[in-house]
Amino acid sequence: MIDMSSNLTDAVSLDVNNLSAADTALEIKNLDLFYGDKQALFDVSMKIPKKQVTAFIGPSGCGKSTLLRCINRMNDLVDICHIKGDINLHDKNIYDRDVDVATLRRNVGMVFQRPNPFPKSIYENVVYGLRLQGINDKRRLDEAAESSLRGAAIWDEVKDRLHENAFGLSGGQQQRLVIARAIAIEPEILLLDEPTSALDPISTLVIEELITKLKEKFTVVIVTHNMQQAARVSDHTAFMYMGKLVEYSDTNTLFTTPAKKQTEDYITGKYG
Amino acid sequence: MKNWFRSGSPWIWMTGGAVSISLIAVLGLLMLIAWRGLTYFWPSAIHEFNVQLEDGSSRTIIGEIYDREVVPIQRLLEAGVKIDPTLETVERILVKTGNREYVDLDFSWLLGPAITEQSTPAAVAVFERFNNGNFYGYPVAIEEDGVKKTLTSAAQLDALIDRAVALNDKAQDLQKGDISSVNYELERIRLKLRSYELKDELTSEIEAKYSKISAGLRAEYQIDEAQLFSYRDQANRDAVIVKDMRGEEVRIPLSNVLDVTYPNDMSIVSKIGHWFGNMGSFITSDPREANTEGGVFPAIFGTIFMVMLMAVIVTPLGVVAAIYLHEYAPKNGLTKMIRIAVINLAGVPSIVYGVFGLGFFVYMLGGSIDELFYPESSPSPVFGSPGVLWSALTLAILTLPVVIVSTEEGLSRIPTSLRQGSLALGATKFETLWRIIVPMASPAIMTGLILAVARAAGEVAPLMLVGVVKLAPTLPVDMNFPYIHVERKFMHLGFHIYDVGFQSPNVEAARPLVYATSFLLVTVIIGLNLTAIGVRNHLREKFKNLEL
Repeated sequence: MIDMSSNLTDAVSLDVNNLSAADTALEIKNLDLFYGDKQALFDVSMKIPKKQVTAFIGPSGCGKSTLLRCINRMNDLVDICHIKGDINLHDKNIYDRDVDVATLRRNVGMVFQRPNPFPKSIYENVVYGLRLQGINDKRRLDEAAESSLRGAAIWDEVKDRLHENAFGLSGGQQQRLVIARAIAIEPEILLLDEPTSALDPISTLVIEELITKLKEKFTVVIVTHNMQQAARVSDHTAFMYMGKLVEYSDTNTLFTTPAKKQTEDYITGKYG
Repeated sequence: MKNWFRSGSPWIWMTGGAVSISLIAVLGLLMLIAWRGLTYFWPSAIHEFNVQLEDGSSRTIIGEIYDREVVPIQRLLEAGVKIDPTLETVERILVKTGNREYVDLDFSWLLGPAITEQSTPAAVAVFERFNNGNFYGYPVAIEEDGVKKTLTSAAQLDALIDRAVALNDKAQDLQKGDISSVNYELERIRLKLRSYELKDELTSEIEAKYSKISAGLRAEYQIDEAQLFSYRDQANRDAVIVKDMRGEEVRIPLSNVLDVTYPNDMSIVSKIGHWFGNMGSFITSDPREANTEGGVFPAIFGTIFMVMLMAVIVTPLGVVAAIYLHEYAPKNGLTKMIRIAVINLAGVPSIVYGVFGLGFFVYMLGGSIDELFYPESSPSPVFGSPGVLWSALTLAILTLPVVIVSTEEGLSRIPTSLRQGSLALGATKFETLWRIIVPMASPAIMTGLILAVARAAGEVAPLMLVGVVKLAPTLPVDMNFPYIHVERKFMHLGFHIYDVGFQSPNVEAARPLVYATSFLLVTVIIGLNLTAIGVRNHLREKFKNLEL
């Protein structure tokens, strides 16, 4: 079946379906999402645990990326998209009228499927978010750049060419640079939308290692179509199918003793 | 045959052929203009012809050969020319004889059979003059300070001409510099007094103060004027006596002479030197004699100044409009219609823009500005008459569609992933636009600007209504405060071509100038474009690896 050796040993103490308020980073309540007339998410409710890696898995088109994009309101960019239900961050619905989207996104960072560095130097890419906040003090920027590049495990590779164009990096390096850019503004939650799907196996491995390291400081939510990856890097896994949250539990349980037939069929490769 | 057709070779030949034809057309055009334009500056040989006239007497003609053509004898016979009817065709030569004040026409056609003798004597000289064009003849004597002396060497004459030219230059500098400043100041004082008068604030103190200033200026003017006249008198001191083709001795005051050359006596090196010198003075000097002589500097300056002013106006306007259309406007039918309307604006004939500019900018806008801010200069208009600002604005709306369309294209080529990346870092849409999107779209904006400049620099028709004149007494930029005078009329190379070529009293004399000016206009446009293309390539280099 699936190799789970890396994660089986980790004792997961939290029960995601029964999380205390102190352990909850984010709560999704009865979320429905529509693209025009077509409903894409059906009554999704879940709690994302703090400083843990939560993975969303499921077949293509099941709504896992859509759900992820709800968390930092990236779906706002789609004109025809509208939602019902709540997503609570610090007991505040992020879809309330008085919420500033830019502030929300500063707290909930996101890394996309394909690396998307800006056409600027490596250094300017990393400090972009800080400059947006009006921070222009050279020393503070330097410190933040170094610590986030170290945090994204790319410092040693780029420290001698910080002022070269970011496009000169390889795909895997670019993706880590993008992660560094996201963590430079110190968000609480980091959303990763299939971060390795455009990368080669070795880069994938480096990024996976990085993800397990990132949870020390951030709450990580990752969408992946790769079940092995979910098993390797996540503490908790949510299986989605046709816009519905089918099963959500700690990764070990979900992959070894799935409660639902649909989940078992998916992880054993019967469809997907 | 079928296989040959299927292989695609005919297609390749066809496409390649189309490219070659375009290339030949463009290069042919450029080479024709360049050749006809540049040979104008070459010091060509001066021929002396002996011509047998119809009544049997003979005549001497001195001049440059301008053109040759072969005409069928039938045409000449029909025109009443007495000529040997056994010939089939006759060559005839167009000769520029100059000496405009002594002959009816300074160009004449000579029939080949009538020429009995032809030579290129080394001693014949060409006098380039301020008035009345070139003079061809043999210098025989000089008149220095009223004393007539036989001419012994060319250097003797050159020295006197240099002296006169230097004095003329001094007089011109004085006139264009100090005297025009004094006049400008006096006019400003008059306007200031008039504005006090209009506001009913004119007190005797103010009047006294200004009349004191203007008295000072008038005194200055008197001094300058006296100086000017003295320069002119000094320049008028000498003269040269030249024997012209009629055999008569003509006195030419040296103050009227710009330069004397002996083209038949020149080596190839000095001819090349003269060629460059002529081109230089064509580019840097002012036109003379209803634009048929002299240079085109004010026209070059006006063209470039107007185009740059237009670029400064159209770029921000077009970019901002494109950003609104592409980024903020709701994606609905109305936006689509606006976009189509904008694209169609590019197809409106330019003269229509000229009419619009005259009605809206010059009369409405300029007229209102005059009423509000310049009541004192009424009835003469300041902004209420055609000027370089209104020309630039008219061309700006004419080229606006080009900038909008290419900026929009540039904006839509930027991958969504970059926008999302910036938004996900907590940037607002505005910040994303100004920090990421617009800089990345800058090569496309430059493309729009290049197209706009190329179109604007060559546009003449609308300018005739909103600001271009045949001869502008002053440049739009000078040393008088506020230094840039956008309300002034200006000269333009495109209009200059039209004016010289079609409005000139002397068509034959103007024809080479038309080519030379055309060549210059093309050069100026290419120069402007190359600058913009250079900037764009630099920007493109920066965003080279966008495909990610």
